[in-house]
Amino acid sequence: MMVAHNSIAPNPRLRKPSKPFYFNTSEHLLRIERQKAATLSDLLQALRTCPEDSIFQHTFRTLQEHHFIRQGFSNDFAHWSLSACNEPVLGEQLASVDVREFTAIEGLRGRMVEIVDDFLESHPRAGSRPGHEPFYFCASDIVVLPTTFVSNSLAGFLDGVNQVSVHSIHHHFIEARLRLHCMSNDFSQWLEEEVGLPAAADSIERIDIYTSTMEGVRRQIAGIVEQVLKQNGENA
Amino acid sequence: MKTKDQQGTSTVTSPAPPPPAPSRSNGRPLPASVMTPPAPPPPPHLDDYRNIIGQAQVDTLRFLAKDLKGKTLKMVNSTAVGGGVAEMLNRLVPLLSELEVPTHWDVITGGNDFFEVTKAFHNALHGSPYELTTAAQEIFLMYNEQNRERMRFDEELVVIHDPQPVGLIRSRHTSNAKWVWRCHIDLSNPDAKVWEFLRPFVEQFDAAIFSSQSFARQLPIPQYLFYPCIDPLSEKNKDLPESVVKRVCDEFGIDRSRPIVTQVSRFDRLKDPVGVVQAYKLAKKYVDCQLVLAGGGASDDPEGAVVLQEVKEAAGNDPDIILLDLPPWCALEINAIQRASTVVVQKSLKEGFGLTVTEALWKGKPTIGGAVGGIPNQIIHKLTGVLVHSVEGCAFQIRYLLTHPEYAQRIGVSGREHVKENFLITTNVKRWLLLFRILSQLPTTH
Repeated sequence: MMVAHNSIAPNPRLRKPSKPFYFNTSEHLLRIERQKAATLSDLLQALRTCPEDSIFQHTFRTLQEHHFIRQGFSNDFAHWSLSACNEPVLGEQLASVDVREFTAIEGLRGRMVEIVDDFLESHPRAGSRPGHEPFYFCASDIVVLPTTFVSNSLAGFLDGVNQVSVHSIHHHFIEARLRLHCMSNDFSQWLEEEVGLPAAADSIERIDIYTSTMEGVRRQIAGIVEQVLKQNGENA
Repeated sequence: MKTKDQQGTSTVTSPAPPPPAPSRSNGRPLPASVMTPPAPPPPPHLDDYRNIIGQAQVDTLRFLAKDLKGKTLKMVNSTAVGGGVAEMLNRLVPLLSELEVPTHWDVITGGNDFFEVTKAFHNALHGSPYELTTAAQEIFLMYNEQNRERMRFDEELVVIHDPQPVGLIRSRHTSNAKWVWRCHIDLSNPDAKVWEFLRPFVEQFDAAIFSSQSFARQLPIPQYLFYPCIDPLSEKNKDLPESVVKRVCDEFGIDRSRPIVTQVSRFDRLKDPVGVVQAYKLAKKYVDCQLVLAGGGASDDPEGAVVLQEVKEAAGNDPDIILLDLPPWCALEINAIQRASTVVVQKSLKEGFGLTVTEALWKGKPTIGGAVGGIPNQIIHKLTGVLVHSVEGCAFQIRYLLTHPEYAQRIGVSGREHVKENFLITTNVKRWLLLFRILSQLPTTH
């Protein structure tokens, strides 16, 4: 269990939640958009003007599509800069952007634009060199669905975390900040507000999604909740 | 039993006529077990996939279908048997119907003249030179019109597969359906005249679907991406007992005590089988291995026979190169060979999507693919497989994967997960349900 840096301070007695946690999931249908980039200059231009849906697709959503990769895949812009344009510096800079630092897509777009713009200013020749293959901008139509899991207790919550799909984990843990418009996630918010577990909520929020698969993230969340249950003498 | 060509192949200098029966490289007959097609197994049910994709994903399909209950869907294509589209529909239609989204499958009819025209269109859309004549256009339109008069479109969603039945869109004004054009072919470099002839039909649909971002065209309608898929429960992909893998390898003379490098594909120059032999020979200077080239096409295709001959010449008298020209019904044997392989190669020079790559990844095999067509959608370099651009690159990756089994295993595991997430039939069922749901919410515009 990878919870070493997430050990939980003792919590006050568990509160019975007044609102249950409804596990939902989101499914995405990929659309091919009109914009494409043959060069890094094209990419910069398209990043400035493409729909927010495209920025979401190539950052937040691509993490979900590649949830099984532990390292080396961060977002599509970074991947293309490295694999098609052979620009490792730019690739690393783009890959270092953590989507969870943003609660709105515009902020994330601004950060990506800033990185590519700065890179092209210091490497002007790189801008017009064609990549091995174009970058095709996509976007998603999203449908949010219920699951069969609804938790009225911490033990029930743990059961849901263990059994829902990784898409549901992504929905509540990563995409949530765009809905909540704050630096948190649905799990942490419920644990803090409904069960009175601010320390556990904080530990979950600090899980590193870029060095773990989504299954690994699930295990870490479950580990934190199990620890709280043990501390409070309930069966995990 | 070894399958080597004892005759020496360098004496054959002109295209050979098609051999009388599928055979090994030396013309000796294949094992009796593969000489007749087996009876097709019954199609699986949704619950059969639970152990593969998990209960949560099966639940998701049921939730998605629930809102569509009572709505019906029609698929129209040009053939009921043979070819990837029919194979896919044979699996998809029962699964959608089981989810209580009744799905009707209709096949257009036409004379030889129609199918000659549509085959020429198909090749032209792939970029082959073609002179579009008025006569060809008239034949195309006449048969589409005949089929249109014969068919009813009472469903809520009508899906037209590929260009052959695209003229059926003229019935759109008589129906309340949403219409979708599912294009399975690569339109990235089409013959301009053929595309301009077809484009006005395509633009009348509510949406189009392509198999890769790079295959799409600029169109005024929404375009969706549906990757092709494999069925993990089909003969070609289902889990096999070790005894079956052993039997097949024994029958074909494949030594399982030594590393096996395999490419499964038709004997077609675009699959670069000669390049694979060259890569194997370069790699073999450093690591011991066998090469299995398993495919078909040499028995019923004169060009395939020529390519097989070229491969034999490239192979020379190396006893560790095993060439298998298999009939099309040998899915189980292909499955066993892929499972026995240490490394799988698909060194294509041009490719559609490359479902043989999907099959290899699904079996957890470290896979080397040419960086063409849909292969980079499946192989994320060094994460779910490795991409190569040359014979030398392919040779190096064979050496590397054979000498770094932990790395090979790691990318094999990720490759299988990539297929599970994106390229299984159940994912495609989900895409169809999502599309149906999304289009159902749009107002009818005709």
